[in-house]
Amino acid sequence: MEMISDVYRGFRSLLKGMGVTIRHFFRKPVTVEYPRERAVVSKVQRNAIVLIEKDDIGSHNCIACLQCEKICPSNCISITGSRKDGLAFKRPDTFDLNFALCSECGLCLDVCPTDTLGYSKQYDKAGYSREDFFYDLLDQWKATEETALGTLREIERKKKEEREARRKADAEAKAKAKENDDGDEKA
Amino acid sequence: MATKRTIEMPVESIESMTLNMGPQHPSTHGVLRVVLHLDGEVVERAICHLGYLHRAKEKHAEHKTYHQFIPYTDRMDYLAPMSNNTGYVMAVEKALGLEVTQRCVYLRTLLCELARISGHLLWLGTGALELGAMTVFLWSFTQREKIYDIFEWICGARFTVSYMRVGGMSREDYPEWRRMVREFLDQYMAAHREFETMLNGNEIFLSRVVDVGTINGKDALQLGLTGPALRGSGINYDARKHTPYLAYEEFDWEVAVEDRGDCMARYLVRMKEMEESWKIACQALEALEKTQNERCNIDNPKIIFPPKENVKRSMEDLIHHFLLASEGFKVPPAEVYQAIEGPKGELGFFLVSDGGPKAYRLGVRSPSFINLQGLEKMSIGYTISDVVAIIASLDPVMGEVDR
Ligand code: SF4
Ligand code: SF4
Repeated sequence: MEMISDVYRGFRSLLKGMGVTIRHFFRKPVTVEYPRERAVVSKVQRNAIVLIEKDDIGSHNCIACLQCEKICPSNCISITGSRKDGLAFKRPDTFDLNFALCSECGLCLDVCPTDTLGYSKQYDKAGYSREDFFYDLLDQWKATEETALGTLREIERKKKEEREARRKADAEAKAKAKENDDGDEKA
Repeated sequence: MATKRTIEMPVESIESMTLNMGPQHPSTHGVLRVVLHLDGEVVERAICHLGYLHRAKEKHAEHKTYHQFIPYTDRMDYLAPMSNNTGYVMAVEKALGLEVTQRCVYLRTLLCELARISGHLLWLGTGALELGAMTVFLWSFTQREKIYDIFEWICGARFTVSYMRVGGMSREDYPEWRRMVREFLDQYMAAHREFETMLNGNEIFLSRVVDVGTINGKDALQLGLTGPALRGSGINYDARKHTPYLAYEEFDWEVAVEDRGDCMARYLVRMKEMEESWKIACQALEALEKTQNERCNIDNPKIIFPPKENVKRSMEDLIHHFLLASEGFKVPPAEVYQAIEGPKGELGFFLVSDGGPKAYRLGVRSPSFINLQGLEKMSIGYTISDVVAIIASLDPVMGEVDR
């Protein structure tokens, strides 16, 4: 008798569960048919870092300050940079990222003073070896580097002129003020 | 010519058999190895062997600046990185004597509760899977996926969030994001009820968990269990209520307690907790919406990175930025302990600072590690298949056990 009631109870609970599951047949699927469909990723998605273009330069604006290299908890960035002719700031000569080590923490973006680091949009990278994840971030900018340098020099020159002009104006203003002061004293 | 040998075996050693469970056993939640001494199928002793996932996090903390250590906390209890982040930055803030803004407090509360729901959903899914219910696993992952989306849309990462910063957040929330959270919260309770109908009355499930792995309140306390493992044994202790932090005091919610001390009780506690978390999250979201015009981060460029626009314009901010980036901020000599209620139990960070930019010592009281001590007490007298249910009901995360 007890067995029958056990079976009955078991069966009932089973049906109850089935009732819930069957309702799901009529709902919209929650999955995304990757790779035929691409998942929607957020605007702020963190990913492998890239050097992003700055409008006024037409290239990245990394000044090889090594802040990102220093803060990176996983030591995955290595940069060398040198000073170029006619520029006040350094430019990177190599910028390597070992993405296999990167934890996508975003600290390098936080510290970059020129805001030239961003995240790449490609979220489904795969590779067969470790070397597949050694990225050279300067690769994409190699072709335009010369023109970018030109633009940077131009900007630098303009800034210098502006500074000079301002200094001149300041000096003149000061001289004038002094003259006035002197005049006041005499009076 | 081969000689025939007889192996003499004392009778006692045959009686008790030693069996290794793990470290690659699928039901041990990672790399937990349990050495079971069995009498037939009944467990006589269950000895946990840990350390397969040891990554020396506490030692790392001594070599990384306070900012640099935040990503490491993600990987302790990797099922609820938001809670770990919060616990750690709160410990540092306590050492600094820093007050964060009200808005930041609400945001952290909301995220911690979402993390709790997501952590418990994983426990629910895998726990049910281990006991033979596949459907719940898929459904709970559907819900978890939504929480991950929420995390992704606020901080950019789904799993290892590294979102909190000392003194605030790495980025602010925005109206669309809040709408997204609202949508999730609106539909969540219906799904929760479905889980309950699937499991609460399910005879197969009940026969695996009722009166299995019983531990009484006194033993649970003596072993130092916290979280659902303790509250399932009738002890009403929850760090959110008893040592209030963040905004838990302001909100209306209850601690889930069950008396029976078996796997079923722990299951019920967690299910109730998810409901309560949902309540808290709803209230926190409302509070967040009310304070949407306030600042989230504190206004102290010595601790938190100043906005980039300011860095370009003001020399002072540039210097602060440079100092923060190159050596981090200094914490005055202090010894602090900050406990929060993580999904698994009381998660404590004990921080000793010697005045430098790196911690002198960071100790982590990880709930999973301490809760595992209860495993032996709970398993003795039950069968091997019950051990699976008991481990599932303890819900250890090996990343946190070994650190
Ligand atoms: S995201 Fe973090 S780990 Fe990755 S390169 Fe930047 S600082 Fe290093
Ligand atoms: S912090 Fe920015 S500017 Fe400095 S080296 Fe890194 S990418 Fe270049």
